[in-house]
Amino acid sequence: MTIEAKQVCLKLAGFQLLSHIDLIVNEGEITAICGPNGAGKTSLLRVLVGDLAASSGSVYFNGKPIADHNPQKRARNLSVLPQHSSLDFPFTAEEVVQLGRIPHQTGVRRDQEIVDEALAAVDASYLAKRFYTHLSGGEKQRVHLARVLAQVWEENDQGGRFLVLDEPTSSFDLAHQQLTISIVRSLAQQNVGVLMVMHDLSLAAGCADHMVLMRCGEKVAEGNPAVVLQKDIISEVFEVDASVQNHPHTGKPMVII
Amino acid sequence: MRRLSPYTLLPLLTLLLPAVMLAGLAIGPVLIAPTDIASSLVERLIESTEAISQNSLIISELRLPRMLLAGLVGLCLAICGTAMQGLFRNPLADPSLIGVSSGASAGASFAIVFGGLWLPMSGGVGLSLVTLGAFGGGFCAVIIVYRLATGSNGTSVSTMLLAGIAISAFAGALNSLFEFYADDDMLRRISLWQMGSLDSATWPKVFVAAVAALLLISYLPRQSRALNALLLGESEARHLGVPVELVKQRLILLTALGIGCSVAVAGTIAFVGLVVPHMIRLLIGPDHRFLIPGTALAGAILLIVADALARILVAPAELPAGILTALLGAPFFFSLLAHQSMRGVGK
Repeated sequence: MTIEAKQVCLKLAGFQLLSHIDLIVNEGEITAICGPNGAGKTSLLRVLVGDLAASSGSVYFNGKPIADHNPQKRARNLSVLPQHSSLDFPFTAEEVVQLGRIPHQTGVRRDQEIVDEALAAVDASYLAKRFYTHLSGGEKQRVHLARVLAQVWEENDQGGRFLVLDEPTSSFDLAHQQLTISIVRSLAQQNVGVLMVMHDLSLAAGCADHMVLMRCGEKVAEGNPAVVLQKDIISEVFEVDASVQNHPHTGKPMVII
Repeated sequence: MRRLSPYTLLPLLTLLLPAVMLAGLAIGPVLIAPTDIASSLVERLIESTEAISQNSLIISELRLPRMLLAGLVGLCLAICGTAMQGLFRNPLADPSLIGVSSGASAGASFAIVFGGLWLPMSGGVGLSLVTLGAFGGGFCAVIIVYRLATGSNGTSVSTMLLAGIAISAFAGALNSLFEFYADDDMLRRISLWQMGSLDSATWPKVFVAAVAALLLISYLPRQSRALNALLLGESEARHLGVPVELVKQRLILLTALGIGCSVAVAGTIAFVGLVVPHMIRLLIGPDHRFLIPGTALAGAILLIVADALARILVAPAELPAGILTALLGAPFFFSLLAHQSMRGVGK
């Protein structure tokens, strides 16, 4: 089971945002997309989840063109966390997470159990009864993370589950960055496919099985983080002078600038 | 502010509604005891036309249709306001935002000024020309706004808001133009119509409002989970499996129909569509599964009470109900807002 892009191009208002991208996101694997601002990371994500239609090329979700899926059934297996949320209504944090169970028909009691577990997983149980509108930026982001987790919490018989996160750690402190990584890893162990856009190369290298580097709408490098994160590739893509070292404990590559 | 449980509020409102309905029948320049109301109605059904008492006539020909119309219009306005605030993801969105009210006003003015006003002309089912003009004007406004905002990428909510403002301005200008050609008596009728009043309630009007209300309460509650998801944003709702375009399309047409009918039979009654949803949301939270029934009940109650008061406050004259809804609801709303900001609780 995969999300697969074949020769995807995207043109919006005359600008070429993506050119000829091939990508396969496998279930049970963590795929990280990295690149400088404006490289087309979010555009690629939006095409992959069906938010935007590719100008040419095609996207397949679990073997079928993404637009051909029944929306409700697809939502049981694909949950998407956008960069920003515009929610401005006084739901409690718990109610926001409950929204993640909308595509499912598992009953109120099971839904509530999953909501509680998802909130606990992102270290937000203490926020359950608080108003979402009063939370800090990082707390809001954790609540939304819990929401998309709750959406793909359980396996079902309709194909592989995928979680797509756009900069999930952007407003997290160090502890919650680490927590996010461990959540994502444990999901991958349960055979969920994870696709993330990340800015922190070292953080991405620490958890990803597969890494994609993008620049100006094109895929520049792809593969195991140890292969992708080479000094010359990073200098070319990000136009910085960087050095790459191995993490003293894990041995994963770390980028130092 | 602590939230009220919906399981407390909804039964409370359900109990309150029949009480208010009864009061709506009893109160007026002639007070009729609740015990007499039932017997009056029975009398109306069994006696021949000449034999029935004055009370019985007041109840069956005046107060009953009027009370029912007030309740149905209140329900329609409130429930449409709820749907629209959810759809636009703006807790302060108002049905008039998409041009229905101003379109209806222009239509009504047109009918008053050019519609052979001294002849009480009747449309097909005993509805006046003004009613039909208002409905036509309101519905046209929505269709234009909707067409403008719908492109190949679906309906854009922000374009719709802007188009609504443009249409409102245009309809306002038309309205002024009609007023320019109107004589003094017409002007008085136009301004009274715009204040919104239920004093011309007739059974055909009740029927129209009932059909609209029935459509709304049979469809909207089924969309409550979709509306909850839409509060997150359209793309998020899509990822929660909601067929967003279909839901938007149906909600817009249905609310246009609901508000169009309400405005047509009762004039522009401001405030109910804006504030009732907001009040109920403050009390029980934004979950549409409870919000929709809650606002339906509260809208009906508010308008029945306002109309009953409108009949007795300056008796034997009558205030337009639209003025009273604002006078009644606004202070309550202020107090909720003040209470809320005092406790430091946001929207």
